[in-house]
Amino acid sequence: MANQLTQLTGVFSALADPTRRAIVGALGRGPTSVSVLAEPFDMALPSFMKHLSVLERSGVIRSSKSGRVRTCELRPKPLSQAEAWIARQRAVWETRTDRMSALVEQLHQEDFDRGRP
Amino acid sequence: MADLESRDLVISRLVRAPRAKVWKAWSDPGLLKQWWCPKPWTTEVRAFEFHSGGAFHTYMSGPDGGSSDNPGCFLDIVPQARIVMTSLLTGGWRPATPWLAMTAIVTMVDEGEGTRYVATVMHPDEATKDKHEAMGFFQGWNTCIDQLETFAQTLR
Repeated sequence: MANQLTQLTGVFSALADPTRRAIVGALGRGPTSVSVLAEPFDMALPSFMKHLSVLERSGVIRSSKSGRVRTCELRPKPLSQAEAWIARQRAVWETRTDRMSALVEQLHQEDFDRGRP
Repeated sequence: MADLESRDLVISRLVRAPRAKVWKAWSDPGLLKQWWCPKPWTTEVRAFEFHSGGAFHTYMSGPDGGSSDNPGCFLDIVPQARIVMTSLLTGGWRPATPWLAMTAIVTMVDEGEGTRYVATVMHPDEATKDKHEAMGFFQGWNTCIDQLETFAQTLR
């Protein structure tokens, strides 16, 4: 549970940020070197590397080094665009609804225990 | 058009609590922020005008500085029965161009000792083929889906 929570947080963090979504979008065109990838972004390289590192830790992308060139690529899975997108939205709302139910049931139980259901 | 409907998300739960309490979880922003996004992400409720045309704006932040900004608008509020909201408008029905276009309809009715809660979430057809989101955007989400779904199962 703790491990899944960590993973979830990582991916949620990785993809909620607009800069990192743009990076993932750019990598959709194929593996790209860090310098080429960084070019369109108006930020210092260390900040950009930080974004890459968040994406890599979450498992959304991977990178490899050849000589002085580090290349990033997506870690794709065989799901269609539409399936992936809609499944992701489903997951967001399923988990959200689960949390809502759990909270309501907990509050209800607390009221019940206090003798005023 | 049949294809459009098949992509609507319908999420249904039997909540073991009276309808008034389910309603409270939605209508009290202090409670809503507790369940809107997964911990340790936090939700800031920036606007919560709980009436038709009222602003509904959530801002989520993560532990490493990531964020997700989601302004929106309530379209219809029927106390203890129905909430309709959209990201395609902001407060006062002002048109918007959200990063994620959606309308959600939440209903609740008594069922036995509890409440039947149904959330229907609709997205425009364009959402799945929008040209400005490259293929990679969707591939990137795939990792996310598996993990979210696994997580959802641990909550049941």
